[in-house]
Amino acid sequence: MALYLLRRVGQSLLTVFLTVSTVFVLIRLAPGDPATAYAGPLATTEELARIRAELGLDRPLPEQFLVFLRGLATGDLGTSYSFQAPALDVVLDRLPFTITLAVAAILLTTAVAVPLGVWMARRADTTRELGANIVTVAGQSMPDFWSGVMLLTFFAVLLPVLPASGFATWGGLVLPATTIAILQIALISRLVRREMAANLTAPYLTVARSRGVSERALVWRYAMGNSAIPVLTALGTRFASMVNGVVVVEVVFAWPGVGSLVVRALETRDYPLIQATVLVTAALAILVQLLIDLAYPLFDPRVRLGKKAAA
Amino acid sequence: MTLAASGRRHARPADTAAPLLDVSELQIELITDAGVVRAVDGVSFRIERGETVTIIGESGSGKSTTAMGVLGLLPADLAVLSGAVRFGGTDVVADPAAIRAVRGRTVSLIPQDPMTALSPVHTIGRQLTEAVRLRRPELPRRAVRERAAELLDQVRIPRPAAQLATYPHQLSGGMLQRVLIAIALAGEPELLVADEPTSALDVTVQAGILDILLELQERTRIGILMITHDLGVARLVSDRIHVMRDGRFVESGEVEAIVEAPANDYTRMLLSAVPRLGPWDEGAAAGGPTSGESR
Repeated sequence: MALYLLRRVGQSLLTVFLTVSTVFVLIRLAPGDPATAYAGPLATTEELARIRAELGLDRPLPEQFLVFLRGLATGDLGTSYSFQAPALDVVLDRLPFTITLAVAAILLTTAVAVPLGVWMARRADTTRELGANIVTVAGQSMPDFWSGVMLLTFFAVLLPVLPASGFATWGGLVLPATTIAILQIALISRLVRREMAANLTAPYLTVARSRGVSERALVWRYAMGNSAIPVLTALGTRFASMVNGVVVVEVVFAWPGVGSLVVRALETRDYPLIQATVLVTAALAILVQLLIDLAYPLFDPRVRLGKKAAA
Repeated sequence: MTLAASGRRHARPADTAAPLLDVSELQIELITDAGVVRAVDGVSFRIERGETVTIIGESGSGKSTTAMGVLGLLPADLAVLSGAVRFGGTDVVADPAAIRAVRGRTVSLIPQDPMTALSPVHTIGRQLTEAVRLRRPELPRRAVRERAAELLDQVRIPRPAAQLATYPHQLSGGMLQRVLIAIALAGEPELLVADEPTSALDVTVQAGILDILLELQERTRIGILMITHDLGVARLVSDRIHVMRDGRFVESGEVEAIVEAPANDYTRMLLSAVPRLGPWDEGAAAGGPTSGESR
């Protein structure tokens, strides 16, 4: 177990390093110049050259990379051009907002998608399920920039019950979390439905029913217990991608999270900030994935024993 | 086919008041993609205390559908039942909700394939103690575990208390079938429905399972409805057998009478499908075909 954990952490660190390195190279290959973005369109060539020298951008790429690595080893990811503050601090300041939004969205998704999926599985292939099917397909088909704007229009403009943007009150969480959850509910509920429908017709369920186990226990203990792994995996993957910042939704609702920070960093070609953002979100996503993998044995005894045998 | 003439056991008059199970003119229609199929077409049989009644037939004859229909385990939207299935007087075809009070108490199922009959993510202890608690909700936790271990011991599972913590994938098919019998017995039923309980098991393991069932019947006078395609199994355990084909009973009677003098061509064919080994064919030779080959 300790060996497994060590190997996984090693793999994770390597993945984060490769991701950050790739991004380091790619943003410098992409068109656009931080100096121009920094000094504005009226800057003279001399001014631009001076700024490049100041930011260290006039040196060859491998040298820049070495400087970056040296900083990385000491936890210094450079100074953000646009914020004039340590890039890592800027990202970490935004992180709680993104995590709050992701947690709210994943809780909402779970709370709706699991009962909905179970409801559909228990009525598999009936006309009532068809209605739910249409709704979930529609949910899957709505892009978040559209559903976000629609929610804004209805609940913040036409019927102003909720704040339109920012995170001044907890009410501000409702619309962005709902926007994210619409698509996720559609996807997860269909997964829950498929898994549950298979388990509800499994032989072990019929045998359990034959010994007088209540329908409630059959559905929630037996069928759900056996559907937990794929559902948990899907929810975990979704959550991991949400902590990366939900760019579109954060921009639509002016949410002060990592997603909207990425947009600003890219617009201003703020290399240190982009690198810091990628580092933090990649590390976070991999951490979440690792936690999910470690949680598997709690839900499936077969995984537990396999691991014991391997280690 | 009077009961008293039964070869292995004798029913006492006191038991004949109301049979454990009384099935009359049971008809089951299944709704399939190809249309409505009459899988069971007017079968009638009774099972008394301490008695084993076997339905024998080949795949698709409707024998398992009969068993599942009796237990109310066919999906309600895909199966239409008519006729009567009475457990000690309660007709569960007329009142399908009544089956819930019967299942796991009056009657228990021993399933066909033990490998898929237990939830893979729950320990056998969890599933067994659940069955015990359903029957005896008043028992304290500790007593429930003791009872569970006792049931495992009854079906000759070694180190029963330790086995409670195991998961189904850690046990062999024969062991799992013993566990399933223990779970069935947790309901303290009067009748067991055994749906091909040995067909997924090795021959050597089969004998052990049948032995457990016979010994259990000897001790508790439990009734057994045995579903099988195996004449050897039928002959070993049955008091009476019903030969089933295309949803109907083509021949019914005491096991020795049918084996020695089958009246129906289909029965003869089933008999001739049994490999001729040892003392097996002594009886069958009289009326059955001479060839031991299956057709």
